[in-house]
Amino acid sequence: MSDLRIAVVCSSNMNRSMEGHSCLSKKGFNVRSFGTGNQVKLPGPAPNMPNIYDFNTTYDEIYKDLLRKDPELYKTNGILHMLDRNRRIKPKPERFQSCKDTFDIIVSCEERVFDQIVEELESRERSENHPVHVINIDIQDNHEEATIGAFLIKNLITQLSECEDIDNEIDEIIQEFEHESNRNILHTLQFM
Amino acid sequence: MSDSSRRSTAAQFFEEEDKESIKISVYDKVVDLLNQASLIAKENDKVGILKQVQELIIKKDSNLLDNFFDEMIAFQTGSVDVKKFVIGFMEEACKVDSDLLPKVMPSLQHLLNDENVNVQKKVILSLPSVYRVLLMWLSITKSPTPEMTQVWEIMASMKKQLYNMLDSDNDGIRTHCVKFTEGLVLTLSRRTEDSEVPKSIKTDEVSLDSLPDTSRYLKVSKLEEEGKKMFDALLQFMASPHISSINLITVMSSLCNIAKQRPAFFSRVVQAYEALHVNLPPTLAKSQVSSVRKNLKMQMLSLLKHPRSVDFLTNITTLLTDLGATQNEVLKVMPKMEETKKRKRVDPQSSIKKIKIDRDDDDDDIGMTPWTDRESDRRLQNVNMRQTAIDITAEDLVPRLNASNVADLVLISMVMLPDTMPAHFQATYTPIAAAGTEGQVKHMSRLLATQLTTAGMGKGIAEVQRDQAAQKNSMFDGGETPAFQGTSPKQLISTVVGGHSATSKLDLLNKAMLPPPPMFPSKRGVKHFKLSAVTNLLDPEQGEALSIMALERLLDAEKKATLGNALAARTKILSCLVTQFGGEFKEILKEYIFTDLRNRVELAFTWLYQEYAASMDMVAVTTDTNKHNMTSYDECLTLILDGLLKVADTKEGIFHKVLLEAPAITDNALYILRRFCLDDKRVESGLKTLRTLIMTRPAHRLRFLDVLLEFTSSDQNELRSQAITCTKNLYETQQAHHAIEYYAVQMLKYLLLPKPSPELYAKLRGRQVAPDTWNEDAIKMSLYLYLGLLPSNHKLIHELATVYTSTNADIKRTVLRMLEAPVRGMGMDSPELLLFVENCPKGAETLVTRVIHILTDKAAPSPELVERVRDLYHKRVPDVRFLIPVLIGLNKKEVIAALPKLIKLNPVVVKEVFNRLLGGHGDVVYQSPLTPAELLIALHNLDDKVDMKTVIKATNLCFGERKVYTQEVLALVMQHLMEATPLPTLFMRTVLQALSMFPRLHGLVLNILQRLILKQVWKQRKVWEGFVRCCQRTKPNSFQVLLQLPVDQLKDVFTICPDLREPLLEHVNKLTETQRSHLPPAVITVLETDPMIEKKAEEARLATEERLRREAEEMLKIRREAEERAAALNERKGDKRRERGRSRSPVRDRKSPGRDRRSPGRDRRSSSWDNRSPGRDRRSPGRDKRSPGRDPRPSKENRVPLPDPSDPSSVKQEPADPSEPPRDRRDRPAETRDRRESQIAAINPTADVTVLTSDLPVPRRRTSDIKRNPSPNRRNPSPGSEGVTVVKSEPADKGYERNK
Repeated sequence: MSDLRIAVVCSSNMNRSMEGHSCLSKKGFNVRSFGTGNQVKLPGPAPNMPNIYDFNTTYDEIYKDLLRKDPELYKTNGILHMLDRNRRIKPKPERFQSCKDTFDIIVSCEERVFDQIVEELESRERSENHPVHVINIDIQDNHEEATIGAFLIKNLITQLSECEDIDNEIDEIIQEFEHESNRNILHTLQFM
Repeated sequence: MSDSSRRSTAAQFFEEEDKESIKISVYDKVVDLLNQASLIAKENDKVGILKQVQELIIKKDSNLLDNFFDEMIAFQTGSVDVKKFVIGFMEEACKVDSDLLPKVMPSLQHLLNDENVNVQKKVILSLPSVYRVLLMWLSITKSPTPEMTQVWEIMASMKKQLYNMLDSDNDGIRTHCVKFTEGLVLTLSRRTEDSEVPKSIKTDEVSLDSLPDTSRYLKVSKLEEEGKKMFDALLQFMASPHISSINLITVMSSLCNIAKQRPAFFSRVVQAYEALHVNLPPTLAKSQVSSVRKNLKMQMLSLLKHPRSVDFLTNITTLLTDLGATQNEVLKVMPKMEETKKRKRVDPQSSIKKIKIDRDDDDDDIGMTPWTDRESDRRLQNVNMRQTAIDITAEDLVPRLNASNVADLVLISMVMLPDTMPAHFQATYTPIAAAGTEGQVKHMSRLLATQLTTAGMGKGIAEVQRDQAAQKNSMFDGGETPAFQGTSPKQLISTVVGGHSATSKLDLLNKAMLPPPPMFPSKRGVKHFKLSAVTNLLDPEQGEALSIMALERLLDAEKKATLGNALAARTKILSCLVTQFGGEFKEILKEYIFTDLRNRVELAFTWLYQEYAASMDMVAVTTDTNKHNMTSYDECLTLILDGLLKVADTKEGIFHKVLLEAPAITDNALYILRRFCLDDKRVESGLKTLRTLIMTRPAHRLRFLDVLLEFTSSDQNELRSQAITCTKNLYETQQAHHAIEYYAVQMLKYLLLPKPSPELYAKLRGRQVAPDTWNEDAIKMSLYLYLGLLPSNHKLIHELATVYTSTNADIKRTVLRMLEAPVRGMGMDSPELLLFVENCPKGAETLVTRVIHILTDKAAPSPELVERVRDLYHKRVPDVRFLIPVLIGLNKKEVIAALPKLIKLNPVVVKEVFNRLLGGHGDVVYQSPLTPAELLIALHNLDDKVDMKTVIKATNLCFGERKVYTQEVLALVMQHLMEATPLPTLFMRTVLQALSMFPRLHGLVLNILQRLILKQVWKQRKVWEGFVRCCQRTKPNSFQVLLQLPVDQLKDVFTICPDLREPLLEHVNKLTETQRSHLPPAVITVLETDPMIEKKAEEARLATEERLRREAEEMLKIRREAEERAAALNERKGDKRRERGRSRSPVRDRKSPGRDRRSPGRDRRSSSWDNRSPGRDRRSPGRDKRSPGRDPRPSKENRVPLPDPSDPSSVKQEPADPSEPPRDRRDRPAETRDRRESQIAAINPTADVTVLTSDLPVPRRRTSDIKRNPSPNRRNPSPGSEGVTVVKSEPADKGYERNK
């Protein structure tokens, strides 16, 4: 398809970004996914007892851990299924801040993540002044919204990838997309 | 894909080869790869291969670069990706070997014009580093070769091209141009110690300070100048009104980078951000606005981290706050204060001057700078100017942003507001956190200054222009664009209000804000005319006389002025003069006004106003005499008012008007008003004025109110009542509600003092000395107003109660006395009043009682009130007096329950209670819970609860109410009572009383009596007695009833009332035989036994015996003597005597003594009865005997034997009865006759005689009776109780017949 290098970023690189990753990679995009959080957090037995892992833990390990802890709970709330999907895509969650690769488009899934990305890019030492578009689409952190969000991301990326001159047209595309999806989109250009 | 991975693959590739062999093999490899690359068709692979080559010839063995450079360059004709790669390669190559530049530059220039934007962008991105290399390359050379010059020329043209590309149609190109410009600015400026340099470019960073100043070809100052121009271009780009959001974000971050790396630009970047913040491009969509703001916030935060930000702390933090940053965010990135001290602020002015000076000598080397265009030069210059002009204007504006100016600005802006709120305004609007603070004012003025400067206005721009003009004059020939036109019309468009018509708005702003055109004091000395120089001082007296004369002339000129239509002017002159000079003038003017008040009122007013204006320092002419004080005004007002006070009463309208229209009311004026009110005839108009003053002058309301309130305690009735009415009205209007209430309550609370407060007294009563105790006047003084307000605010009652409870008896009494009108005014339905009754405070019971009394005085109590009182009675104060006012509101049961207590109260109260209950109370018609009958019944039923006396008194009260207790009512009562078991004690008393009041009740009473027998009335002693008395009263009609009594009871009747027996006996005797046969014999016996008569008979018998015995003895003696003396001669005489004596003794022996004795008495009675009955009978025939009440006379006669204290007349009448005397007369013969009979009986002593003689007298007497009055018509045999009268007379005849 296109040679755009795309990153989908959420907080834990589990649900939203992986859904986007999965969706985009099925479409054949050159996509990677990241999390910006300090740790990987997954819902636990209670809201105040999340399961916390660091970014080096593989999806498989997490899967097994949760399976051991409470297979019923994590099966019913879909987390095991999600982890299963994730481990088929890539071995483990990645932290955006640890990745020095260059992208053309970075899609974030919530404003906080967007801020973290921009902050990270600002503080990064610029190597080759490559322009990167950072786009935020707010997606709630649950399965349904993640699916819808991934669909939206896919639509947007498809449009962007189809245009001739992305830098020139992205403004219009985003505005149109904003209008169609009825969501507020944040968009900024950074150099990395 | 990335560099690192590329490197690593390359590194791996060559890992094992040693250095010697590398050279050759690298060479071979490169050749091989290049061949592959040129042959390969797939672009991606080609790029991959070429990258390998690049790796080899640049990183691995740069010596080979030169060899293969041309081959590499040759690929630039390939696809986009290849081109992009080639550009990257060239950049890298240049860095390694700057000698390649002459080859690279033309290629780059060529590629810059490539049709593919991405290639162009790549070129643009690589240019800054190429430029740096070029700069370094040129700086090193001592003498520039033509080659170098050519390369520089190419670079210059590219820069120019790029500058133009800032206006490119392609967003991406513009973005990249910005980036390029950023790089250029960074290069073409000097590093300072606080520059923040990113590590990645630190090594190969090129800045002007790394260039040797000595370079012959490059002039550092020129380059620096150029860098500044580039920077200005960026600023201008950012300020362009239709910038896209991406461009904006890019330029913002570029500026941020510049500011951080080149702090010299810091202030202008901050300024630019500020300007941007208020002038966001109107074309941005909502989300773009938020993106931009987010970015701006981030940039500001990042700027704040920089040590230089200390100088702009307020600007930045204010901006950040506006952008929605939290305090925490700001504090987190704030630089340490210690660092800041080291820094000195760079004066922007100096840098500008430097620029200007620099610019002056750049005419000669146009070729060296790409910015040769004069016009653009000028434009950039203006950007510079504007920034400083903003500073100047902002400073100028700060003091001008006072409240009124700001208000004007807002008002003017309101007109200009667009109909709908622009989207970006809505998105960017944040509430101003620190409005009105110094910081915010500064911020505001800065914002305004930005706008003004943009519009080409303000002090700053004027100054800059002056400077410029001065410089121009000295250094340039004229003809340059003046600064006032220095802005493109484009920039005028974006203003705070996002608006169209910005220019007109700014014009208005200009008018509002700008100082008047500077008035240059003329230094040319024109000599002014000075009056003092040409006139001499008059001596004071003369001056005064002259001035008075002048004034008088003016006064006299009234007519002329009227004719000449100059009245207004004259009035004005007069008032001004008098105001200004005062003194005697005032008196004169006053006199003048009062000589024709009606027509000269206007003058008075003008004078008053003039005085006021003078006292307020509002007039231009000021003299020493009146400065800022009101004395002169006060004097004037007092003069006028005082004058009005004295003139005839018709002028009150004017007095009113003067007070109302006076600009201020002084204390003296108020005093005059007070005096005015105290005048009896003027009370009304005075109070009206006062009231209007209170209503219309809220500022001084309390002062006037005070006067009014004092009047409410006045001892002048008229004044006080009017003042209270007035206060009440005011109170109701709510305007002075609190003050009045407070005063009233205070007054009320004075009552709590042990004695009247002397101060208060002095205040309200003038000089009178306060009495030592609370006299009525003093008490009332405190109460008038409060009670007056009570009907308006019912809540006050509670306070009254509180005070009431703690005052002494005198005060309480007065309160109670004065309470009537206010409470009546409140009405029964007042919730507060009800509440008051409900929560009756301890000690206020009397008050409550009084209140309830007043309420119910004229009206029936409302159910609510009744409810409250009932509660109070039951729960709190078990004093039955509470209930009295609401008695009629209570239900029957409650009233009856309360009755025992009620009737124990003092008689007056009881009477009152009864009045209420019986509906005789007030004029109100209401339904009493008890009917009169029920009341009386209830009273009777109180037997056991109250002592008899009280009940009797109470019933007497009832009987006293003749109008209420009519015959019918009483009948009802009696009938009702009769049903009760046991009978109420007082029942018979009531019956008797009823009977005496209404003799017509006779029939009913008899009926009752009869029925009482059935109820065995004798079992209740008292009732029984009453019964007997009643029988007595109703005789002879009651005989029938009596006869129905059992024997014992009948006997008892006679014991109680012996008088009854004989008439009854008589009555029985008159009965017919059949009738008599119905009577039990025992009854007859009882009837015939008269205990009294028996006794008398006994006495008589004893006496007779004695006599007889003596006679007999005497007789015997005499006989013996006679026998002895003369035997035969006196024999007949002695016989007779002996016979008599003998007859006596056997009577005594054989006959029952009672019967013997009774006979004479009976005879006597009978005769009297007989005597009377004919008289009555004579009258009776035509009459209906069933209703004895119709004729009172017979009943009166009936009453005769039973003396009634209540009817003394009947007692007196008795002896006068004409039928009486004959009775006595007739008695005597009967007695003699009886004696004779007894003698006969004694003479004929037989056993049968007893029986016979017992009845003998009756038939004998009857015979005579009948003979005297043989009236067969009356012999009505009907035995019914109805025909009592008939029965009564009939038995007499029957008895006679039976006897026969």
